Amino acid sequence: MNEAHRRRVVFLLLIAALPAALSVALARGSVPIPLGSLLSSMASNLGLPAFASPLEPPAHSIFWAVRLPRVLLAALVGGGLAVVGAVLQSVFRNPMADSGLLGVGSGAAFGAVLAVRLGWSARVFLALPLAAFVGAMAAIVAVYVLAHVAGRPSLQGLLLTGLAVSALASAGTSVLLVATEEFRVKTVLFWLAGGLEGRSWPHVQIAAALILPGVALLVALARPLDVLSLGDDEAGSLGLPVHAARLIAFTLTALVAGAATSIAGSVPFVGLIAPHALRPHVGTLARHLLPAAFLAGALVVVIADLGARTLSQSLDLPLGSLTAFVGAPYFLLALRANEGRG
Amino acid sequence: MRRVLAWLLPVLSAASAIAADAPPRRVASLNLSADEVLVEILPPERLVGVTRWADDPDTSNVAGRVPATAFRFPKADMERLVALSPDLVIVSEYTDADFLSLVERSGIRWHRMEGLSSPAGVRNAILALGRAVGAEGPAERVLARYDATLRDLARRLGDAKRPRVLYWSGEMTAGADTAIGALIETAGAVNVGREMGVQGIAPPGAERAFVTDPDVILVSSWPGGVQAVKDHPLLGTLRAVREGRIVVMPNPLLVALSQYTANACWDLAARLHPDRIPKDRP
Repeated sequence: MNEAHRRRVVFLLLIAALPAALSVALARGSVPIPLGSLLSSMASNLGLPAFASPLEPPAHSIFWAVRLPRVLLAALVGGGLAVVGAVLQSVFRNPMADSGLLGVGSGAAFGAVLAVRLGWSARVFLALPLAAFVGAMAAIVAVYVLAHVAGRPSLQGLLLTGLAVSALASAGTSVLLVATEEFRVKTVLFWLAGGLEGRSWPHVQIAAALILPGVALLVALARPLDVLSLGDDEAGSLGLPVHAARLIAFTLTALVAGAATSIAGSVPFVGLIAPHALRPHVGTLARHLLPAAFLAGALVVVIADLGARTLSQSLDLPLGSLTAFVGAPYFLLALRANEGRG
Repeated sequence: MRRVLAWLLPVLSAASAIAADAPPRRVASLNLSADEVLVEILPPERLVGVTRWADDPDTSNVAGRVPATAFRFPKADMERLVALSPDLVIVSEYTDADFLSLVERSGIRWHRMEGLSSPAGVRNAILALGRAVGAEGPAERVLARYDATLRDLARRLGDAKRPRVLYWSGEMTAGADTAIGALIETAGAVNVGREMGVQGIAPPGAERAFVTDPDVILVSSWPGGVQAVKDHPLLGTLRAVREGRIVVMPNPLLVALSQYTANACWDLAARLHPDRIPKDRP
């Protein structure tokens, strides 16, 4: 099978699997809802004729107010994080790169802990995700500004600055956590562990407003991203304004990763495993890899969130732990396989 | 999505508006303190949901008394909550605003248990809860017993010498503005955590705790609580530990933030001042 054919098959599989996973995720939960009834309810709300028995009042509220926004958020968060991972791996020319390298996760965690410590999260709607978003953006700006203090930095300089800023933000988070009451600490721990419980339509609107345009612009920048992945000298010799292109890529990935992390907390490995798994099948060109990564990332997080909701009757498992349980072993196996080939 | 929301929100708002006018007939609780109060002030058929902790004798003061018909929430599960169709849900002081927004969007009113860091705050919270669920009379009767216990306790303690008590749990102590700190002080003792300048529940560091030389160490009956202090390389050598003055408080009472707070104050006072306070309240 040649590469183009293999790519088509992968896209077809992803395009078929995502709606299937969304349907299962919408039907399954603490309260099972018949798939036919919920599809019929969605159709009738879109002005199409209903084709199954209508949803009863509790199921109707559960579906429209709780489950549908949660499942859509899972898809947006997963898709966004996977695209961010694919872009950063290309820009940094490093297969281990993801949004954590820019300080997104630790900056967001600091913002979230601050919102909880000061009591904003309990009093003000959206305070926690907004504080997390501001924290993520502040960390990225700090990385970029500090890395440019002594002129234009190398990629390695950016990476190391990102590590230092992440460590500073994590240290601040630890200090805040120690000074926070234990009940509030639990709120923070839930957020840090990643999850989508309690999210509603305004969260979907915020995530969609930042993630979808961000991803679309990154896909539109596929050609410059491919040139950037050749290295600074080669990209410059091909006429690409390297630093401007890199700044745009960082800004867009920061917006997408910041939005995803502020809504869902820490959801690790999605940005690493989705691009890794796809590259051998769809190739390394960004115009193919990024859309495929979006679909795969969405699929992974929708399934992981379904597991988080349904695997235990007594608690919502942390979404971030589930993606790590699956992602870390996969990543280690992929690493071994690559080393074996090398 | 806009069409969906345009259709959905008026329906939910209308449902909420209808419910807001009448006392709630179906009350669900996502808070253990509220569970303990509601079991006493609501008819069983109106209490439709409680936390799973309400049945746990190591945590709850009403284990075995919760109506069998009430659903036990294993977690703060929005889907289960909506499925129960409550008129009112009781949430905790720290329940985040985004979760509450989703509760409102599902057409359910909510009431927050808050200000529970002192016996007076607990009293206000019980009164507010009674009003919120339309059970002011039963709440006032519960509070009459609560007030009488605390009044009797204060009278008996009088000008008794106050021992200095250090609460210790996993490297943490209770400082100012904590329910455990208030419990220690109401029971006729000095809270060493407050003396140290600790705010909230926080780790003061074993060395700082050691130099305070408390008269009594207060620990929970939770497994391992006493042994952790005895085995601690520094705290294990404290005068209070050497002389056997470790007070082990039943965990449900130690963490009680309900009418059982008064019982907790009495219980601790009886352990600290056995000459003045009988074990069982007359």
